[in-house]
Amino acid sequence: MSLERRMLIRELKLIIARPGDIIKPMWFLVLVVSMVPLALVPDSDLLSDIGSAMIWVATLLALLLNTEHLFQSDFSDGVLEQWLFLNRPLAWLVGLKLIAHWLFHVLPLILITPIAGIMLSVPMEVLLALLVTLVIATPALTCFSGLGAALTLGSSRSGILGVLVMMPLFVPVVILAAGVLIRAMDGSDTLPLLALLGAFSVVAATLVPIAVSAAIRLNIGGSN
Amino acid sequence: MGWRWFHQWGSPRWFYERAGRWQLVCGWLALTLLIMGSLWGLALAPVDYQQGNSYRIIYLHVPVAFLAQALYAAMAVCAVVLFVWKMKLADVAMQSIAVMGLAFTALSLISGAVWGKPTWGTYWVWDARLTSMLILAFLYLGVIGLRAAIQDPDQAGKACGILVLVGVVNLPIIKYSVEWWNTLHQPASLKLTEKPAMPASMWIPLLVNIVGYYIAAVYLILGSMRAIVLERERRSAWVRELVSRA
Repeated sequence: MSLERRMLIRELKLIIARPGDIIKPMWFLVLVVSMVPLALVPDSDLLSDIGSAMIWVATLLALLLNTEHLFQSDFSDGVLEQWLFLNRPLAWLVGLKLIAHWLFHVLPLILITPIAGIMLSVPMEVLLALLVTLVIATPALTCFSGLGAALTLGSSRSGILGVLVMMPLFVPVVILAAGVLIRAMDGSDTLPLLALLGAFSVVAATLVPIAVSAAIRLNIGGSN
Repeated sequence: MGWRWFHQWGSPRWFYERAGRWQLVCGWLALTLLIMGSLWGLALAPVDYQQGNSYRIIYLHVPVAFLAQALYAAMAVCAVVLFVWKMKLADVAMQSIAVMGLAFTALSLISGAVWGKPTWGTYWVWDARLTSMLILAFLYLGVIGLRAAIQDPDQAGKACGILVLVGVVNLPIIKYSVEWWNTLHQPASLKLTEKPAMPASMWIPLLVNIVGYYIAAVYLILGSMRAIVLERERRSAWVRELVSRA
């Protein structure tokens, strides 16, 4: 069995052992979304206008919540140190970890957004666009918040610093995704913006693991 | 000459002594230029036919906004130097530039808001340039916060370096995406490629002030770099000698 497959299976086993890690962000998402009509007015026209944006922001926050400690347990039990001795580039292993995280932690979060959409009476075609933007944009978001998590690994008092540091870099993703949603509401062509969003995600997924691996090396105290 | 010139930068003591002299030159030069440019701009330059006297804030706002962006690029250059040549002084420069950059970004946001109230009728709009300046402020804050959170200065410097490099790759993307999103701000007051839309009596003092602010920024950064060098080298013999003499 290849190393890559064993790593993915390990991640899966970890999740089965601690299902709370997936459920909590989903729980958070639904809670935030149910606060919106309570804080605003229960007017379904207004809600359907702002609903998709609210869900996007809530998903972003939930994603940050579950990526914040992405490398923490691997760091404290020494798995990251073992990675340095494997005959694979560190960036590749980091990439695998990020893919596993996206598959097992972020994807469930996206799958629950239709329920949130129904709660905020978002129209069907916008909901579809929302799902597509989330699927395309979250790899980039996962990579960047992973970098935030890796940079703050060594400092015990960092708190949500990793999130604060990375949030400004999400701006292009949020703007492009919002553009797609607005166009979906008008019924105009969303493909060009989706392509840009996809390009951003692909570039982020290729380059950010290199930065993450540098940050991990730094915190393990290896040569950098 | 050869590599000697380059290796000198590795010596904190050499830098501390030289920077003191450079600081003196920069300080007086900046003071002269700023007094000249500001007096010229605020008192002698003609009144704008549309905005009246309120336009005169450009003699502060434009140089400061230029610097806010240029300093991020300077910080990225320092990060590259840190990773390629492992020069500790580059890390010191990164640390002081981050603080200075945040200060200039805040100044440009505040001076812009003060100007926006009489001209646009509001302190803040979600316009592209204002927004990207705000994001820039958050990026600077992130660099400062990350350094503060990590205890070991070497490790903190490298972590900040990674963050700065990732940020500098993203900065143009952020800028263009925000611009595409919403634009209300007037186009740049001064461009290198075009003749300015203002008369010479308005833009020459502006140019004097821009150069003045740049040199003032160098003065401030050198000063804070010297302080950081002293703090980091506090256990070395030359710093002890320096302190005991004072």
